[in-house]
Amino acid sequence: MTDAAVPVTESAVEHFTERYLRSRGCDIEKRGDHWTITVPKEINSEILTEGLTLYCGNDSADDDVELLHPDSSFFQRLLTEASQRSPTGRISIETADTETQIPGWLQNSDVEVKDAKFTPFYDRTALVVVFDVSIETVSDYQTELLRAVAVDTRSEEPLPTLEETFLQMISQGDETSTTAHSDTLTADVQSLLDSARQQLIERIQGTIDEVHQEASRAADAEVEEFRQLQQQRIEELEQKHSQISAKIHDLSEQINGGDEEERIEALKERKELKEEYEDIDAQLTDLRQRRDRGFPERQEEIRSRHALDVRVRPVTLTEVEYEQGEIEFELASEKEVRKLTLGYGSGVGVTETVDCDSCGESFGGENPLGSLSGGLRCESCSV
Amino acid sequence: MDGYDLVDVEVTHESADDLLDTSSSDGNDAVDHPQSVQAARLQAGQPDSELRSLKQLDDNSVKLLEHQVDAAYRALFEMDGKALLADEVGLGKTIEVGMILKEMHFRETDDSVLILTPAQLAKQWQSELREKFGLNFVCNYDDEFTGFEDHDYIIASIDTAKSDRHRSIVLKREWDVLVLDEAHYVKNEETDRYDLIDRLSYNYAFFLTATPIQNELTDLYNIVSLLRPGLFGTREVFHHYFVNNNQETLVNRDELQDRLHKVMIRNRRADTDIDFTDRNIDTRKFEPSPEERELYQAVSDYVKGAYSESQGQKLVLMLLQKEVVSSPAALEETIEKRLSEQSELTHADELESILDLIQGVETITKQERLLDIVEEARENVEKGRVIVFTQFRATQRQVLDRLATEGYTVHSFHGGHSSQEKEQIVEDFEEAGGVLVSTDAMSEGRNLQFCNILVNYDLPWNPMRVEQRIGRVHRIGQKRSVYIFNMALKDTVEEYVLDRLYHKIDLFQQSVGELSSILSRLEESGTSFEDQIFERLVTADSEVDLENDFDNMAVDLQEQRELADKLEEFNNGVFDGFDLGASDD
Repeated sequence: MTDAAVPVTESAVEHFTERYLRSRGCDIEKRGDHWTITVPKEINSEILTEGLTLYCGNDSADDDVELLHPDSSFFQRLLTEASQRSPTGRISIETADTETQIPGWLQNSDVEVKDAKFTPFYDRTALVVVFDVSIETVSDYQTELLRAVAVDTRSEEPLPTLEETFLQMISQGDETSTTAHSDTLTADVQSLLDSARQQLIERIQGTIDEVHQEASRAADAEVEEFRQLQQQRIEELEQKHSQISAKIHDLSEQINGGDEEERIEALKERKELKEEYEDIDAQLTDLRQRRDRGFPERQEEIRSRHALDVRVRPVTLTEVEYEQGEIEFELASEKEVRKLTLGYGSGVGVTETVDCDSCGESFGGENPLGSLSGGLRCESCSV
Repeated sequence: MDGYDLVDVEVTHESADDLLDTSSSDGNDAVDHPQSVQAARLQAGQPDSELRSLKQLDDNSVKLLEHQVDAAYRALFEMDGKALLADEVGLGKTIEVGMILKEMHFRETDDSVLILTPAQLAKQWQSELREKFGLNFVCNYDDEFTGFEDHDYIIASIDTAKSDRHRSIVLKREWDVLVLDEAHYVKNEETDRYDLIDRLSYNYAFFLTATPIQNELTDLYNIVSLLRPGLFGTREVFHHYFVNNNQETLVNRDELQDRLHKVMIRNRRADTDIDFTDRNIDTRKFEPSPEERELYQAVSDYVKGAYSESQGQKLVLMLLQKEVVSSPAALEETIEKRLSEQSELTHADELESILDLIQGVETITKQERLLDIVEEARENVEKGRVIVFTQFRATQRQVLDRLATEGYTVHSFHGGHSSQEKEQIVEDFEEAGGVLVSTDAMSEGRNLQFCNILVNYDLPWNPMRVEQRIGRVHRIGQKRSVYIFNMALKDTVEEYVLDRLYHKIDLFQQSVGELSSILSRLEESGTSFEDQIFERLVTADSEVDLENDFDNMAVDLQEQRELADKLEEFNNGVFDGFDLGASDD
C-alpha cells in the first residue's frame, strides 16, 4: 500500500491542466499567466466552453477569466471531470521502459551487483486499486488517506513494488504503455477487490488505532467533564437541600410559638418549602443513582457521538499487465563472484524471498547480504 | 493506552459497481485512464502548503532561520493552526509567530487577532511585528486603544484582558487567532488567567513558552488541554499513565513525546546553526568632578524630599534622577520645562538652585572619557565605527556637538526621523563610518552588524532595553567580537544599577529570551524593575541601607535567574529524555 496523494503545487496544477486540455483536443495560447483556450466544437464537457481564458494565480482583476491555482473552483471542477472520465482501465509495463529493480537487501549490501539480466517467460496481470479512506470522528481528528494497493490477479498476493511503479508511471504521464479501458478489465474484479480491501485495512490499522485512541481519549475527557459537572450539581443541590431543611425547621418553631397570623403565614411558607424540598430530594436521588451507575445513557451518547466512521471507497481500478520471468544477478565481493537467479517481474521486482545460508533469516532492507563466502550470508553471519 | 475502548469503530466499504459501469465514450482511453488516476491523486493531495508570504519579507528587517521557518510551517499546516511553540530561550519564538501571522494575513484568515503577553513585553511585541513583518497591531498601552471591541489586531497584557473592565468584551468576541506569550503563566487551572483562556473563542491558537513545565507534569497537561482538549484524556488518566507516584520518574516517555509531537514544537539551541561571536564587556567608572558630585547630591535630595511629600510625581522625579547621571543638559531641559509650565510649583526655589549648579559644571566627565573610547576605535576599528546610546535627546545633542568639534564624523538617530531618513542615516553610517549617537528609538529591526563597538553612555533601568541596544549589533550575521562599553559615574545610582544588579545577573551576557523569562517571573510580583530601583533609591535612610536594598534586589534577581535556569534544565529533561532518571517502560 503506497501513499498515492500528490502535493498540489501551482506547477502541478498548471502541468496537469495543460495535459488534460490538450488531451481533450484544446489549443492553448499562453501569454504570461493568461491562457487563451480554443475548445473543439464536438467536445462533451461542462467546464470546457467557448472563449475560455485561464489566469494562473489567485488575484486577477478581470472577471471574465477562470483562476487556475490549487484552491480555485475551476481547477476543482476540472479534477472532478477528469477523475470521472475513465476511472477503470488497463496499462502494461514494458520491460524496456522500466529500470531493473534491485531489492533493498542487495542495494544496502557491501556486495556489488555487477550485472542483472531479466528473461521474461510469460505475461501476468495485477489489479491496482486506488482507495480513498476517510476516518471521521466528531472531534477535530479527521484523517483522509489515498492509498494504492496492488494484488496479483492469479495468486492475489500483494505486490508492493508494483504500487510504486504504477504511481510513478501515472505521475510521468506515460501514455505509451496504456492501452485500453474498462471494457477490457478481464479479471474477476470482485474477488480481487476483496483481497485488496483486506490488504488495505491491515496496512492502515495503525492509523485507525491511533485515531481511535485519540477519539477515545476525547470521549473519556468529555465523560469526565460531565461527571464533574454533575457532581458539582449534586453538591449545589445538597447545599440547597440542607438550607431549605434548616428553613423548614425554623418555620416549624415559628408555627409552634407565633400568633395566628404569623402561624398561617409560616404554615404557607413551610408548605411551599416542603414542596421545593421534595423536588430537590427527587432530583438528588435521581442524580445520585445515575452517578452511581456511571451515567450510562450519557456515556452511551458520548460513545456513539465519538465513534469512528471509516469509509473506504475505491476510486480507480487498473489492470496492470507485466512480464514475469527470472533475473540473474552477477554478484561480486572482494574475494568472490557469484550468480544468483531469482523470480522477477517487470515493475514488480524480485518475487521470492531469499534466506541467509548460515542462520536461515530472510534477507531484507534491515538484514542485507553480508558476504558471499560459503554461500549467501547476512551481515551478522559475516562478521 | 490500556482501557481506551470507549468508542466503536465502524468500517464501511463502498461498492465499486459505479466504477465498473463507467466507460469512456469519446476519448482516447490510453490517455484518459492515467489522467483519471492522476486527477484522483490531486484531489486527495494537500493544497500548496508553502509559506507564500515569505517572499514579501524584507531581508534587511528580518533574517529567518531554518528552524523558524520549519516551526511556522508545522504549526500552520501540520498542526491545523493550534500549536505550542516551546523552543529553548533565545531561538526566536516571536519570529515564528510573526511568520505565522504574516502567512495568515497573506491568506486572509486573520480578521481578528489577539496577542496576550506579560505587561512589559507588549510594546516589544508590537514593534517587532511592525518592523520585521509589517504587521500593525494596537497595544492596550497606546493612546489610540479604545477597547477590545474597537480594534481587530490587538496586543494586550493578559492581566488587562482579564480585568473586570475588559473581560466580558474579550470573551464575547470570536477571535480568529489567539497568541499567548509566556504560556506557562496559565498553567494553573484555578487562576483567572486560565479561566480567561479556557473561555476565549478562537479558531487558531499559538502558545509560546520555553518552559511549559514549571513545577510538575500537570502544568503541561493544563497548557496542552487548553490548546487541544482531549489530547491527553482526563487529568487522572494522564497522571496515572505518565507519572509514577512520587512524581520523580516519568513513565511511558515515548508515548508522551509522540503525543506532544502533534501539538508542540521544541527546537533546541544545539540543533540550530546559531553561532554568536564573543561579547566583551568593559565597564568604566569615573570619579565625577566636585561640581558634578554636588549637582548629583542636590538632585537626589530634591527627588527624595519631593517624593516623600507626593508620590504622584513619581515619573518626573524618576526622570530627573536618570538625567542627572546622563548629562547636565538633559537635566536642565526638564527643569526649565517644569518651571515654565507649572507656575505654582512647590520647591521651585530648590529647582532654581539646581539650575545654578548646572551652570557651574564646566567639564562633563563622561563626555571627556567618551573621547578616549572613540579615539581608540578610530585607531583600531574599520572606519572607526562606534554606536553611542543615550536615553535623552539633550544628551545626544551635547555629545554630537562635542564629537563634531573634535573632528569626528558623526551621525544622529532619534525617533523624530521618518523611516526613509532612518534608512539613510544607517546607510551613511555604514559608508562614512565615525560615530552614530542614537537614542533608544533605534528600532529592533535595524541591521547594524557592520559595527561592533557600542557605548552605553547612560544606562536604562530596564534590563530589556539594555539588551535590545546590544542586540542591534550582537546578532546573527555579526562576524567579529562585540565590545560593549558601559559608562558610569562613581557613587551614583548608575554605579549601583551596574555593579549590584546588572553584573550580578550577568546581564551583559544574557540574550533577550533569557532576560524576558527572568523579568516575566519578576513581574509576577507586580512591580516593574524601574519602579523597584526608584523606590529603593528614594526610601533608603542611609548609604548602608541603600546598599543592602540593592543587594536584596540582586538576590531576588539571582534567585529568579537560577530558577529560570533550573526550569530550562528540567524542561529539557522531560522533553529530551535526560535527568529524570530511567523511564520505567
